[in-house]
Amino acid sequence: MAELKYAEAIRAALEAELGVNPDVLVIGEEAGQLGGVFTVTEGLQAKFGVHRVIDAPICEAALMGWSIGVAVEGFRPVLEIMFSDFSLLALDQLVNLAAKLRFMSNGQFSVPLVVRMPSGGGTNHGPQHSQSLESIFAHVPGLIVAMPSTASDAYWMTREAINLDDPVVVLESKYLYFRESGVVASDPLPFGRARVARPGSDLSILAAGRMVQRSLAAAAILGEENISCEVVDLRYIWPLDTETIASSVTKTSRAVVVHESVEFGGWGGEVSAWIAQHIFESLDAPPSRIAARRTPIPFQQHLEDQVIPTVDDVVRDVRELAAY
Amino acid sequence: MPAQIAADIETADEFDAMRQLALYRTMSLIRATELEIEHLHKRGRLSGSFHSSIGQEACAAGVCAALDRSDIVMSTHRGHGHAIAKGVPVEGLVAELFGRSSGVSGGRGGSMHIHHRASGFYGETAIVGGGLPWAVGVSWARRRRGLDSVAVAFIGDGGFAQGIIHEALLLARHWPSPLLVVCENNGLAHSMPSEALFGKPGSIAEIVGVTGITSRYVDGRDVCEVAATAEELVRRLRSSGHPALLECGVFRVRPHSLSDPDYRYRERGIGDEWLEAHDPIAKLRHRLEALAPEKVEAVDNEIAVEVAAAVEAAEAAAPTGTEDARHSVYSTPALDHG
Repeated sequence: MAELKYAEAIRAALEAELGVNPDVLVIGEEAGQLGGVFTVTEGLQAKFGVHRVIDAPICEAALMGWSIGVAVEGFRPVLEIMFSDFSLLALDQLVNLAAKLRFMSNGQFSVPLVVRMPSGGGTNHGPQHSQSLESIFAHVPGLIVAMPSTASDAYWMTREAINLDDPVVVLESKYLYFRESGVVASDPLPFGRARVARPGSDLSILAAGRMVQRSLAAAAILGEENISCEVVDLRYIWPLDTETIASSVTKTSRAVVVHESVEFGGWGGEVSAWIAQHIFESLDAPPSRIAARRTPIPFQQHLEDQVIPTVDDVVRDVRELAAY
Repeated sequence: MPAQIAADIETADEFDAMRQLALYRTMSLIRATELEIEHLHKRGRLSGSFHSSIGQEACAAGVCAALDRSDIVMSTHRGHGHAIAKGVPVEGLVAELFGRSSGVSGGRGGSMHIHHRASGFYGETAIVGGGLPWAVGVSWARRRRGLDSVAVAFIGDGGFAQGIIHEALLLARHWPSPLLVVCENNGLAHSMPSEALFGKPGSIAEIVGVTGITSRYVDGRDVCEVAATAEELVRRLRSSGHPALLECGVFRVRPHSLSDPDYRYRERGIGDEWLEAHDPIAKLRHRLEALAPEKVEAVDNEIAVEVAAAVEAAEAAAPTGTEDARHSVYSTPALDHG
């Protein structure tokens, strides 16, 4: 099978689901005729028509609510929010309605909605187009939060999300769209399962999204210094695969989370707290985080590198952890 | 209307009278239920708060009379009247307020989260204006499935300030949806007079009309006018598949909610004054008593019995158990306990 870029893999997943399920709809601003500002939905409208791949006006809040209405009637809408930062316009509908409708209605309604959004930095788009907001979504009961880091995972996790009966937020790394490629695996993934991207024995690096790639690059460098890093790609921020985290950290006795979310209130704190609470006896060092500093993300790369963890940041902090 | 009534009708006048009696019945049921709920709160038998729809019954009854059971209604936070008019069982509604597992939402949602899919009452929303977008989506999706049904979304004059209302109206127009938006203009956005925001009653319909959506204003003190206007609009949008808006002038007889000190922003007793002068239920009763006093009395008695029985059954039912606090967040129990 051919190697696909991360963006192409998502497109292939959407195409596959549009093809097998007439209830699947793709909606987004510029997602139809133009094929999406990152070209992820290119060609889909031509293939499936304007009634399946729908161009939307610029009204995120109502688009989210509209998609909820469509979902409760048994369609499977895949709503693209052009940049994850814009999802904040739609947060009331996502948090107060999509996430809660099943509960509030005592199961009368289900919301099989997928909200996919290009997320994170690395493309010099500036402070309001570069955020990593997965920690906000992971905080909300009722949502599932997916963050693929490879092309193959992007393919299968998108297909899975469409077939789940719960609202799923899929945070795609805009940086990885055209910088990450891979062959799509022949089989679907088990839901909610993290993967060990690199086995190791001295410490566990727990990451998601493009920080997986940075962690792997750091691990390669540290490997030369005889520091054996296990890198775990969490894949889902919620539900968190605590089983894989536990087995890794129990083995290595040291853990660090690497994420693009801001450190304060970032999901790395959650993972660290969980580890401290449940794996304390096996730890040789406190769990820690390497995360974005509390600053909006500047658009220039060298300034972004002062805010979002770089490979060098990960190498430096992990070296310290190894020496603790 | 119920088949039994329809079978008894022999003349157009009788038909008219029967329809009016049905409207009277619906409004009276709403009024009696809301009064009973107030009573229960005052005596500490209900917890939380609620937003009374007294004074707005003609809008709920008149609009819902134009709908079939398979049509859909979305409501606001002030939605008990809409729910009852659409056919949500009073017992299930009251049980919800009592926090019983027999409540329509399982006793976990409360007053602002009455959902009853079986009667087409898709639900209230506690976020002002928050119910309109999914109403648009629902009506679009049902039309897309080839269903004949229409949807009605109630909003308020207060909600009309929300940006999402205007976004949703845009979507209803742009992706044609058989949706009737009913803006209950009770003149108050909580404590803020909406005339200061939008102009005299009728202005909201004008504002929306300019965007190309068929819009009307109707006086919500006359349930027959509301019913006739709603029927015309619903018929139109059922065949056209395009949205419409009905602004209905009503009055919020009670404060915003149980704890709202409305005497701080409007005259004390203004609600009772309005009822005295304009109560749509009293007006219709007066008219019907001239035609069929025994039928009116029968309805009054039926309703008293119905509401009393509903409250008794609701209060006697089992409270939602603690073991039921956390289910149905997700589609699988495993995720619920994650």
